[in-house]
Amino acid sequence: MVNDIEPIDQIKGKKGDVNLYVPIGHYALSTNTNYPVNHSLNFSIYGLGSCIALVLFDDKNRVSAMSHILLPKVNIDKKILYPHKYANLSVKLLLDELIYHGALRENIKAIIVGGSKIFDFDNNIMGIDNITSVKEELKKLKIQIIKEDTGGSVGRNVIFDTKCFSLYVRLTSDPDFTRIY
Amino acid sequence: MKKNDNISEGVQLTPEQIDILKEIGNIGSGHAITALSELLNNEIDVSLTTAEIIPFWNVVELFDDPSIEVFGICSEIHLNSDLSIVQIFTKESIINLINLLNRENDLSIGNIRTSNDLDELSLSIITEIGNILSGHYANALADLLSIKIVPNVPTVALDTLSAMFNELIAKHAQISDYLVLIKTKLAVKEIKVNCIICFIPSLSILNNLFNILKIKYDMNL
Repeated sequence: MVNDIEPIDQIKGKKGDVNLYVPIGHYALSTNTNYPVNHSLNFSIYGLGSCIALVLFDDKNRVSAMSHILLPKVNIDKKILYPHKYANLSVKLLLDELIYHGALRENIKAIIVGGSKIFDFDNNIMGIDNITSVKEELKKLKIQIIKEDTGGSVGRNVIFDTKCFSLYVRLTSDPDFTRIY
Repeated sequence: MKKNDNISEGVQLTPEQIDILKEIGNIGSGHAITALSELLNNEIDVSLTTAEIIPFWNVVELFDDPSIEVFGICSEIHLNSDLSIVQIFTKESIINLINLLNRENDLSIGNIRTSNDLDELSLSIITEIGNILSGHYANALADLLSIKIVPNVPTVALDTLSAMFNELIAKHAQISDYLVLIKTKLAVKEIKVNCIICFIPSLSILNNLFNILKIKYDMNL
């Protein structure tokens, strides 16, 4: 899947951008080549509910990526324009993308955030399904989850610092961001 | 699933179809607002209904500030497929409403950080307001389309609008990259209440709707 065709679902910042907002179904990528090593760049998602923020990174080769996942699995048979919408596609694509940009597979680690249940309907298991699906897929590909902040009933805001490979989370009900990795 | 194959990413609506959706939104919200104004015994200002077709990642951009905390009251309606009616109230509005309808209570905005901080009576007042609004909205739709629509008891949440919409978008975005959102803004100036009523029909509901209204509708133009 990773080739020279420009993907439509990659969020690219302009030179000098310090913050890239990742909308649902999209992803952002930071490598040594597209940003100088000493340049700070954050990936962020505000208002994460049942969605998942998936971060994969190789801190030795300084490659990282974040995707904003909406749904657990594809259940339709047709051309998909926004594969990062689906957990089962996003994990694999993000991994391929990282390796293509110089990450070593055995160095790649994962952080997952999100999957909360905002509306308390009995049959509302969207968040849990999303978490389960991302985890299954990571397990299948033998990627270690080094940190997770998932579930609950409150929305989250997430910032990933691609310079220090650190991750900050703020619950909607909290006043400030807390570093969780 | 055969029928869904050609829905794919491209749902498009003509200006005429958008107008019809607006009109449906006007009728639905009109009924809901009449009921609310009777309950509050106050005049309600209503802005025009908008109907928009929008990519799933951009839905919350239709609102002024998706990152502030609001109250959302969500009713699910199960028909042959799903449709959702959601009412969005500012935090201040809900507190004003509760204080108006239950004079023994004096809630202040600083004490409410999650929906769990509300006492049972306040919560049931909000749920009832939601019930009235979505019930009348749904009844109007049902009359218009000669079908039976019964909304379930709504659920209340306090969070950012974008977090709230994750679940709604997820429900409708499995088969399509576009959603239809019909929304009406209303305000009760005297008691400082602001609300947006949103109606999200699924694609199959849209299809039914245009069928019943005998409007030619091609899912994939």
